[in-house]
Amino acid sequence: MLILIIVVVTAVSFDFTNGFHDTANAVATSIATAALKPRVAVAMPGVLNLVGAFLSISVAATIAKGIVNPKLITGNTGLLIVLAALVGAILWNLITWYLTLPSSSSHALIGGVIGASVAAAGSKAVDFHALVQTVLAPAVLSPLICLLVAALRTFLAYRLIRLLKADEARRGYRYGQIGSAALVSLAHGTNDAQKTMGVITLALIADGKISPAHFHVPFWVKVICAVAIAAGTMIGGWRIINTMGNRITPVESPQGFAVESSSAAVILASSYYGYPLSTTHVVSGGVMGAGIGKKLASVHWGVAGQMASAWVVTIPAAGLVGAGAWEITNLIGGAASAVVIALIAAALAALVFQRAQRNTITPSDLDRTHVTPATEAAKGTPAVAVAS
Amino acid sequence: MIALATPLIKWSAVGKILLAGLIGGAGVVVVFGFLLLGLSRAARAQHSATRLADYALSAVCGVLVLGAVVAGIYAMVNKPPSPKPKKSAAVLTTPDRRDRLVA
Repeated sequence: MLILIIVVVTAVSFDFTNGFHDTANAVATSIATAALKPRVAVAMPGVLNLVGAFLSISVAATIAKGIVNPKLITGNTGLLIVLAALVGAILWNLITWYLTLPSSSSHALIGGVIGASVAAAGSKAVDFHALVQTVLAPAVLSPLICLLVAALRTFLAYRLIRLLKADEARRGYRYGQIGSAALVSLAHGTNDAQKTMGVITLALIADGKISPAHFHVPFWVKVICAVAIAAGTMIGGWRIINTMGNRITPVESPQGFAVESSSAAVILASSYYGYPLSTTHVVSGGVMGAGIGKKLASVHWGVAGQMASAWVVTIPAAGLVGAGAWEITNLIGGAASAVVIALIAAALAALVFQRAQRNTITPSDLDRTHVTPATEAAKGTPAVAVAS
Repeated sequence: MIALATPLIKWSAVGKILLAGLIGGAGVVVVFGFLLLGLSRAARAQHSATRLADYALSAVCGVLVLGAVVAGIYAMVNKPPSPKPKKSAAVLTTPDRRDRLVA
């Protein structure tokens, strides 16, 4: 029972980090173009993530499905594998947050599951063909698809702007941005909160608390996952918002609208056609596309390269942490191992937070609502240049 | 070798997503642009007939944008369901069986 409680608490903690890590996907460009004040911007996706978490539960229990041998995830052994995987995912999320790099929380969780499973049962526990087919190939394709779509949208938006007054265009596209950002937030809630619901439900099944014959996500699991991801989102991952909104390319309101609406279209189409793509990769590709689609705009390829490197490393790095966590639990054994690994994870998380305080980014650093059109035209440098 | 018989990339799904993104993408941007254009021209129109036509253009475009949002929410709510875990999988084993595995 103690192990199960620790797994549930750790899963909720992962959900929280997932929330603040992915806030940028929905609101970074809205903040960068002054469509919304930062605090208001993160409150909106917070509420919509909460709503989205209850809209559909079809994604629940799909994490690492078909990739890792499900026979491993059973009993106390299974619970400890899930715990080690969650520790790997949380720590990688915090490291990339510290480095100000947007990366996929889902990939971190999959990496953690793979690492812990391989450590527990060897490489035969993982279907690497399925890993490439369902995770790695979409990871490569998703930013490219959205880059193409957002570049075309930005190109078209700037052709239409010629028929409008500059002030009307800026104001109009800001409203469009808010609407499309809301759609991305809702889509995020319907996907990411459910992954944690799936993890907790899997743990409950492994512990015998839920009958496998009557698979369902308990209501209390839905509530805590929805609240955790909403709370994480409302906290606001300002470091990643700064990277996404300011450091990849200078974003104007038509570009912001192109990014958010392209991301919404690609994410929703991928969900509908059963080919789930990473929200972070899609939106990041969209921001780059918005830079490419505007004449004379520039993409900071150095920052884009850092992000791509983080994406490549995410699964192996989270896997290594997951494998290490599993080895520790295996060494100690029993419920005590779960307590020890949870304490180690909490200590490392506190260390990352403490180090991040040395160069914090606050909402007021990112607030551009006071910026006039004249100064916006001269925009081209990051709002806050954080060395990563 | 059986696993390798399935393609690594589901090109049909990728093609559909790209097509939906491009059609929806271009469509929404153009329609939203005309919505703004209609409002802008209506505000400056000298004659009431022109103003009415511009407002009508904006209204039609507004309905189309709302339609795109509704289509998005429909896609969200009607995701393809994930298959239920197989009965042979050990996640579905009983607590007794589980205890033996842990030991």
